[in-house]
Amino acid sequence: MRATLLITAKDLRQRLRDRSAFLVAFVAPLALAFAISVTVGGFSEGGATYHIGVVNLDRGQAATAFFSAAKQAPVRLKNEKSETTARKRVKDGKLDAAIVLPRGLSATFLGGPSVRIDVIGDPNNQVGTLVARALSDSYASYARTIQLASQALGNATKPLEIAQKSGSLQSPVTVSDTSTTRKNLEPKTYYAAGMAVFFLFFAVQFGISSLLDERRDGTLARLLAAPIPRRSIIGAKALTSLVIGLTSMVVLALTTRYALGAHWGNPVGIGVLIVCAVLAATGVTAFVTTLAKTQEQANSWLSMVSIILGMLGGSFFPLAQAGGVVSFLSKMTPHAWFLSGLQDLSSGEALSSIVEPSIVLLAIAAVCGGVSLLRVRKLIEP
Amino acid sequence: MVRKGLLNEERNSLVLRCEGLRKRFDEIEAVRGVSFKIAPGESYGLLGPNGAGKTTTISIVAGLLESDAGEVTVAGQRLTTKSVAAKAAIGFVPQDLAIYPDLTARENLSFFAKLYGLRGKANRARVNEVLEIIGLSERADDQAKKYSGGMKRRLNIGIGLLHSPSLLILDEPTVGVDPQSRNAILESVEQLSGQGMAVLYTTHYMEEAERLCDRVGIIDRGELKAEGTREELVALLGEHDKVHLTGSGHLEAAAKACDEIAAVEAASVGEDSIELLVERASAVLPEILTTASNAGLTVHSVEVEEPNLEAVFLHLTGRALRD
Repeated sequence: MRATLLITAKDLRQRLRDRSAFLVAFVAPLALAFAISVTVGGFSEGGATYHIGVVNLDRGQAATAFFSAAKQAPVRLKNEKSETTARKRVKDGKLDAAIVLPRGLSATFLGGPSVRIDVIGDPNNQVGTLVARALSDSYASYARTIQLASQALGNATKPLEIAQKSGSLQSPVTVSDTSTTRKNLEPKTYYAAGMAVFFLFFAVQFGISSLLDERRDGTLARLLAAPIPRRSIIGAKALTSLVIGLTSMVVLALTTRYALGAHWGNPVGIGVLIVCAVLAATGVTAFVTTLAKTQEQANSWLSMVSIILGMLGGSFFPLAQAGGVVSFLSKMTPHAWFLSGLQDLSSGEALSSIVEPSIVLLAIAAVCGGVSLLRVRKLIEP
Repeated sequence: MVRKGLLNEERNSLVLRCEGLRKRFDEIEAVRGVSFKIAPGESYGLLGPNGAGKTTTISIVAGLLESDAGEVTVAGQRLTTKSVAAKAAIGFVPQDLAIYPDLTARENLSFFAKLYGLRGKANRARVNEVLEIIGLSERADDQAKKYSGGMKRRLNIGIGLLHSPSLLILDEPTVGVDPQSRNAILESVEQLSGQGMAVLYTTHYMEEAERLCDRVGIIDRGELKAEGTREELVALLGEHDKVHLTGSGHLEAAAKACDEIAAVEAASVGEDSIELLVERASAVLPEILTTASNAGLTVHSVEVEEPNLEAVFLHLTGRALRD
């Protein structure tokens, strides 16, 4: 054990002098997490507000009800004088979309002819258009419900009264979306975690793959000639990976928590997830390293594997709704399981929610690490 | 194998004893039944050309490689790749530089000293001593990557000396070294040997083996062909001389033709010369010149040398050390 600690201390000292380790483990993930969360956060953050123009040609009670109903939605409605003005403002990007409430809208509640609500969207702002469309659909559905209620009561002359009453009633059914909205991490947290786990796979390379450095530099022969067990050399390399990986993740979690306001969730749960992720990353890295014959080969293979796993695992963009093969492949990556566990914790789930991700991460670590141990013998030959 | 008597063969306190070492890499048998012994304070040279099996033998003796057969005993303890105690008695200086360039000389030495069990004050004191020995005290706190080639070589050797080993193994330490550094290395080895440290030294330079080693083992194609002191090995040649013909033309044909002369025991071809091992060269030299000339060699110069280890090697293997 003493020899393991000595070699680990020496490796860490070397890594401290080698600024590339510092860059990969701390600077790059922080910079990217900050840049991506700022860039992406603008439209996908939970509190985003959409600016929807309304051309009110009706000017009746139905239009007033529309404005009242829309207060619940994450939109800011702006009155527009005419359809032409609204189109121009949408085209100029000053509005996300616009809705035209037609003349005779209120009359439809009194049995008048059907009318059409037009949505003016911008092909380059699909989200804004979808929001306006959803508002309009919702309102159309509401109008139909009122009409049906009026007919059912046999009092077709009072639909507006029914509409007013329905507005003050509490709905017997409430909707809570626990699968997506609630569990979706806010961008700054998602990308802080995504970048942290992505660069973790690069950071841990500084331990395991340095066995190949030692062989290239001839120092492995000296270590093998020293009166220490060979397992202490392998142990030291793995320990170096774990120390660098854990330090990187903890520093990133704390920095993004306090500098970016990322919400990582329960510290105990996060601690468990981080340890499991670092073990998995070390296992995968060790496995790939034992396949390589030279340091250069190991570097290129490890970079390739880290990038592919990071992309599939959702480090760069959420793949929750991807479905099909991508979703299946994503589940093969440690990144996806780490982020999944983090989403559970961040949404306030109990600690037990991370049992499954933790077990999967540990299984990846055990399988990859086990195979590496069988193969590592060839790496510690002079 | 021709084996001449060990120095003080009666001594039973050998530092190193190798018996019947064998090592195969796939189809190639790199070491074939190599046996030799080294007594305390003795310098033993393994002399042979590149690819002769020197480094493989050294790797087994240093505990880096497991032999397929045979046994190594260091300071009375059997050595394998796993034996910690036997390895503690060995100081190993690999052929290539084996230092951490990002660490200073002091950090390099201190790290390896700790691996050999030197801690605290003992570590610091020994590191300072070795820095003095290798002449790096003034640059001790500079990173090794800033050193000249010769300084790096000295640090490379210094690491092998840290724990005052019973046996110091140096694997071709002068390969690729400038003449000045080479001389410094040879002087260091002479000093250490003079202080009672047993030295196992591999080289393909005949002069180094002659200068440094009490006894020399001549190794070729994985086999130890002969061993003994310089005098003992040269005596194997009897009345043989080495004849060196420099010239131009058909070198191969001339060497082949000369080899057929009864007095010529071995012939080898160099870049612009042929080398012959000849019994009583003075008597047969005219015939050699005529034969070489008839075979198409234009002789520019002739040199007849007293027998040396190179001639012994030629005698034993039929080829020159540089082949």
